[in-house]
Amino acid sequence: MNWTDVLAFARGPLFQVALLVFIAGMAYRLVRVIFLGWQVDKVPARGSKVGGAAISFLKGILIWPFVPWVKNTFKKNPVIYLAGGLFHLGLFVVLVLGTAHMLVWKSLLGFGWKTLPLPIVDWMAAVTIVAMITLFINRLINPVLKLITGPAEWANLAIVFVPMVTGYMMTHHLWFRYEALFSLHMLAVDVLLIWIPLSRISHFMFYFFSKAIHGADFGKRAVEP
Amino acid sequence: MPEKTIYEEMKQKGVTRRDFLKFCGAIVGALGLTRLPTISADGAAYKGAKGFQPAQLVAQALSTKQRVPVIWLELQDCAGCSEALTRSQSPTLGNLVLSQITVEYHETLSAAAGFQVEEAKQAAMQKYAGQYVLVVEGSISPIDDGVYCTIGGRSSLDILKEAAAGAAAIIATGNCAAFGGLPKAKPNPTGAVGVWDLITDKPVINIPGCPAIPEVFTGVLAHFLVFGTLPALDSLHRPVAFYGNTVHDRCLRRPFYEAGKFAESFDDEGARQGWCLYKLGCKGPTTYNACASMKWCGGLSFPVQSGHPCLGCSEPDFWDGGGFYQGQSAPLDKPTVLAAGAALAGGAVVGVGAAALNHAQKKSHKQEPKAKE
Repeated sequence: MNWTDVLAFARGPLFQVALLVFIAGMAYRLVRVIFLGWQVDKVPARGSKVGGAAISFLKGILIWPFVPWVKNTFKKNPVIYLAGGLFHLGLFVVLVLGTAHMLVWKSLLGFGWKTLPLPIVDWMAAVTIVAMITLFINRLINPVLKLITGPAEWANLAIVFVPMVTGYMMTHHLWFRYEALFSLHMLAVDVLLIWIPLSRISHFMFYFFSKAIHGADFGKRAVEP
Repeated sequence: MPEKTIYEEMKQKGVTRRDFLKFCGAIVGALGLTRLPTISADGAAYKGAKGFQPAQLVAQALSTKQRVPVIWLELQDCAGCSEALTRSQSPTLGNLVLSQITVEYHETLSAAAGFQVEEAKQAAMQKYAGQYVLVVEGSISPIDDGVYCTIGGRSSLDILKEAAAGAAAIIATGNCAAFGGLPKAKPNPTGAVGVWDLITDKPVINIPGCPAIPEVFTGVLAHFLVFGTLPALDSLHRPVAFYGNTVHDRCLRRPFYEAGKFAESFDDEGARQGWCLYKLGCKGPTTYNACASMKWCGGLSFPVQSGHPCLGCSEPDFWDGGGFYQGQSAPLDKPTVLAAGAALAGGAVVGVGAAALNHAQKKSHKQEPKAKE
């Protein structure tokens, strides 16, 4: 058993199983949420539900992250707001616009797209790692967060952190052999895929649903979301 | 035959002292000797004078030692490694055969054939017992009594074991002899394995590649000749001097990788500009070999320089390491649409079931207090 074998296992059968668990798990979670039941609301609508949902997405994804100073959360705790925002932006850039990751998407979906130059993706990865460390420290010292942080929250942070760090290290050939880091990276990704449906990282999907539902609710009452 | 020293042999063939010293310099270059080794030719701690140069050390060895007898076996192979070796530039095969080594047996290069050449092999194995270097090209098929590869009615395993018994060291040249190579590719019908899977009581040096870089082979042999010891090996028994860096590390297209400039197809502008071939499936980042630094055909070029991605031919099981033109980061196995659909449906069904159970449980809870009343 050498690193090449570990890599072949982590990129091959284990990845396949992890991806299937991920798909089944997310389907299960989604169905469970839907079957919790919808609120029966007999009040006639005063505004557009679709319009409300659209504004909700617009503000949540396109406006607040780029004009954060209008938000109360930002004024109260700018470092954490920025760290959270940059972490999500970095994750998106690395996972979607990084060449190596695009090739994964291409092999799964059958089509690819243009990617960003490595130095840009690389800096975003570094920013993401620093942001994660900031959020980690914040969880350690913030009195309110300390109260609501359990093992699952630490696991969430760790399970996202390991693929980020191993990916960064392998790109820069730091300390270990490339195939060893590649193996660890892939093993960590497999663990992450299985962990997502079991954890709150599933918000990567539920976020969009809750944004839409809240937006529709606000829209119906003709209130600015 | 090997009573004369190598230098005497060369002198007799008309090699001048100046040419001999040049040749010694070439060997030093091929071995990458930048400083004195810590061991001397007889294996003891080296007691060289201060300021002693590596080339002098080589010259000393060649003028005091006899030629190294070599027995070359070809098993489940394509003779590609032999073919490549005949194009070795530094030191050339001509030099190597004529001066440094005596190839006692080689199926492809021997003038004799049939039982005559087999007899010659037997005689050589007896004469040089414990001294000869055994070179193996091609994988071994040990399953089903070895019926898938026989030479002169004997199985490849049988032939290897016999020759290995009297060898001083074994050099497995090419990916097949080292790790099983093409014959071992899935589903491996002949049960092919490399030499080190079978021979554990002799030192085995792997020189994988498809074919192995000829200068690496001659370099290892020259090292054995000069120092009488084997070069430092990595965990896969490959000489560190040649397999210490990845192809990616030393690649001339590496700056384009760093800059994110990739050829998207074999005939686009990027390909014409010589950009990185990572997206076209290059396995350079995980492939340890000297291609990018030593190059081929006398330093003329190597596959990546010529516009083709690295296949990873010096790594175990490279035939099963994903498509040659598929990006290295892409998964080796991916779920089929059917499997993904089944997982989706399965998750949904379990979800609906759990929701229904929950619902039923809630209903019965609501009814229970009423029953009590």
